[in-house]
Order: sequence, then structure tokens, then C-alpha cells
Amino acid sequence: MTRQWKLLDYALASLLRRKGKNLSILVIYTLTVATLASVLFLTQSLRQEATKVLSGGPDLVVQRLMAGRHELVPLNYADPIRKLPGVKSVQPRVWGYYYDSLKKVNLTLMGLPAEPEILVLLEGERPSKGQEIAVGRGIADTYGFGVGDSLLLIDAAGEKQLYRITGLFETGSDLLTNDLILFPEAELRRFFAMPTNRATDLAVSVYNPREVATLAQKVRYHLPDSRPIGKTEILHTYDTVFHWRSGMLLTVSLAALIAFCILAWDKATGISADERREIGILKAVGWDTTDVLALKFWEGLAVSLVAFLLGTILAWTHTYVFGAGLLAPVIQGWSVLFPDFDLTPSVDLYQLFILGMLTVTPYIACTVIPSWKAAITDPDSVMRS
Amino acid sequence: MPMRALWLLLIVLLLSGATLSFAADPRMPNKTDRCPVCGMFVAPYPEWVATIQFKDDSQLFFDGAKDLFKYYFALPTKDDPRTREQIRDIFLTDYYTMQLRSAGELYLIRGSDVYGPMGHELVPVAGEEAAKTFARDHGSTHILTLDQLTPELLPED
Repeated sequence: MTRQWKLLDYALASLLRRKGKNLSILVIYTLTVATLASVLFLTQSLRQEATKVLSGGPDLVVQRLMAGRHELVPLNYADPIRKLPGVKSVQPRVWGYYYDSLKKVNLTLMGLPAEPEILVLLEGERPSKGQEIAVGRGIADTYGFGVGDSLLLIDAAGEKQLYRITGLFETGSDLLTNDLILFPEAELRRFFAMPTNRATDLAVSVYNPREVATLAQKVRYHLPDSRPIGKTEILHTYDTVFHWRSGMLLTVSLAALIAFCILAWDKATGISADERREIGILKAVGWDTTDVLALKFWEGLAVSLVAFLLGTILAWTHTYVFGAGLLAPVIQGWSVLFPDFDLTPSVDLYQLFILGMLTVTPYIACTVIPSWKAAITDPDSVMRS
Repeated sequence: MPMRALWLLLIVLLLSGATLSFAADPRMPNKTDRCPVCGMFVAPYPEWVATIQFKDDSQLFFDGAKDLFKYYFALPTKDDPRTREQIRDIFLTDYYTMQLRSAGELYLIRGSDVYGPMGHELVPVAGEEAAKTFARDHGSTHILTLDQLTPELLPED
């Protein structure tokens, strides 16, 4: 044990002796790890966010298609669905998008859901009469609003409407509260000029999650012009999209990873004559080959671990403190129209482990193998060459 | 005085009523309950919970109707000397509503494409109409009631 301590001590000292070379490797190593870890963190967080948003959503959403495009659903579409065994409830929803040209953000306007279990009212009360709304905390922060203030929106007829904010709410996910405004349903219909016998879609909740797929089939059978979308389907799509985007980014970063590997190989393997002589001397004064290898292993491990930790911390700061400013536009895609939202930190240890394996192992191998070659040759010939 | 006695009587009646209905309601499994047939934990499969309630209020939990009836038909065994007469009721989870219901009120569907944690299952469904719908949706033709069930009719695996 003390032997290994002494070797580690010597390894650190020898790293310090070659400051310039090791520092340059450290910097590039750190940057590589930081890039890759940023992509992983960001994707992980976005997926987490999507899951959180959807976990509070309905098990099945039924839309209507006309000529291949989304259409308003007649309210009586809910009746045949309600009769299917296994359906807990069918709730017609009224919602839509609104682009605020002043703030340049897309808002989601929604008729007050009957069972808003994912919303926690922070302050004030739920809107009940016309001209009353409740807004997500994110919107309140963006606009600098509080309960009792008024918000000006332009309705479908082009008229300016002044709404009084009666409540602030929040959900588990920032994505929802940052663009959601709740209206009394009748008022929202008037705002969008939506007929009273139609809804945007139907939210179906199902008792047994196993039955969702069968129910979706049956809905399509009974209502041929409908498009049922299961919660797992949406989750799956999000997963695929984020996977695909992060995959693209990782492929691009792969070039960086390879460049790093070449650099590491070059820096670490191209043992200078100095180092060769050092190994020769060490062997001449009685070091074993195993000692030399242990020494090189410690050197490699020290550099790798420091770079890995620094890189991860850098990635964490970049992703969660600075909102992944460098990567977010690529991964989020068109959703840059959304107002800003803070990512919820979430780290997948398994992914970090893989990243560690991909970067630390090759580097240590790069440092140990050439030293092993130098160490097994006769010290005399090493020092002479 | 008689007024007070009346109140007491009322309270006693209410309490006994409450405990009676409490005893009849099966409790749900907690995290450590295992199926005595296959040894698996039951709590992770809420849609398959099946339970035997004995007259002394003790309960056994199973991860599906198949395992429950295997146990039921084998009673009394070396490890469990209780007889079927000591059973107060059997509760199974209705596939469509995910609620525990007395097995007598349920239809059992054999040979469907819905698998439980232990493979092929007898799927409990409440109501004849729903049972027929289930059988049609999930490729089965064999709808049983509790009286028709025999050990030979239990799915193999």
C-alpha cells in the first residue's frame, strides 16, 4: 500500500515536471469530455422534462382528421368512446396557440380542465367568469405580472381583450408553466371563435394501461376519421426525436473525440528520449517493470480523472447554469419559439459511466503500453539509444 | 338516562357496522407480500392482484388468478392446513376497472393474448357484456364462471 502511495507521489511529481505537455493534454481532454457530457446532460434533461409533462397528461388523446389535417372534434364523438369498457372518463378539451407579437413568444391558451391535478395553484384562485385568467409562474416572471394585474390579448375577431389575472399556478415541469394560460372554457371559445359543439380534442383516461392500445384500435374502428394517440406513443416519439438529435450531435462530436484520441496517442506514446532515459535509469536503480507500469498507470489515471471531473463540472455548469446556450438550439429544434425554460438537472449515472469508459480507458492504455515497451527493454540499451 | 343508553347503543351499532364492513373489504398488498405459489412480489403488478381472505381476516396475495386457483385447489397442503371452508371470500382484479371484486361476480377468460407476470392467465372481467368484448378483442373464446372452473382448466404456464 505504502509502495503504491510512494509511486503515486512520484507520478504526480513527474507530471508537474512536464507541466506544458500535460497541461495542454488536460485542457483538450477536459473540453472533449465537456462537449460529450453536455450533449448527454441536455438530452437526458429534455427527455425527463417531456416525460414529466406527459405523465400528468391523458392516457389517450383523440383528435379528428379531415383531409389529413387536424380538425375540431364534435362533442358527440365522446359518447361511443365513453361506452367502451375500460374507459374511465372522456373529457373534451378546448385549447390552442396564441402568438404574442410583442414578447415574440408562443402561448398555449387552454380552457380550464375539469381535473387539473398536475397544476398546483400557487396564489389567488381559479378563473371562473369571463375576462378572468390564471397564468403559469413562468409567464408571470417573463411579463412581470402578479395576481390582480391585467393582460392584453387580441381575439379571433381582432378585438383587444383585457384579462384580469386571478391566479398563478405551477406544475412539476417548467415547460408547461412557461407558456400556459388558463381561461374559463366558455370565454376561450369566444376568444378563438370556436363553435360550442366542438372541442380541440378529447382526453380519454383509461383504468388499465395495458388496454390503451386496444382502445385506440376500437376508437379508430368506431370513429374512422379520428386519430387516437396514446401517451406511450407520444413519449416514444419524443424519445426517438431526442435520441436522433443527440445522436447527430454525438456523431459530429465524434470527430472531436477521434482528434482527441490522435492527440492523446501522439502526446502520450511519443515517449521522448528524456522519458525513455528516465525509465532506463529507474530500471537501473532497481525498479521492476511492474513498478514502472504502475507509475505510468498512476500518471494516466491522475490526468484522466482530473480532466473527466473538470469536464463533467464544466458540462453541468454549461447545461444547467447557462441553459446549454451552445447546444440547445440544435437539440430543441423548432421549439426555440417557446419562452425560455430552466432545465431540471438530471444525470444518468450509467451514461456518465459509459462516457468515462470511452475516454479514461483509451487514455490510460495510450500511456501504459509504450512505457511497457520501453520498460521491458534492457536499461543499458535504453539509456544508450 | 334512557337517552344516554340510546346514544350508546347507536355508537356501538355504528362501530360494529364499521368494523364489519372493514373486515369484508380486502386490503391491498404491501411491498413485502409475495405470491405463495411463485414467490414473486405482488405489489408491482396492481392490475393482477388476487387475494384469498380467510375467516380469521388473514389474507394471502397472488400475482394473478391462475396462481390463486392453483393454491385454492391444492388446499389443504402440508404447509397450509387451512381448508377451503375457512375462506371467507376470494377477490380478483377486474381487468377493465382495475378494482378488486369478489370472484363470484367475475367472469374468467382463458386463452387470451393478454399475459400476466406468470405467463398465460385467467383474466377476470366484470359483467357478461364486457367479458364477451374482452374475449373478442383479445382472441379468446373460453369464458368461464367460478363454478365452472376446475384444476384442469387452469392455464399451464
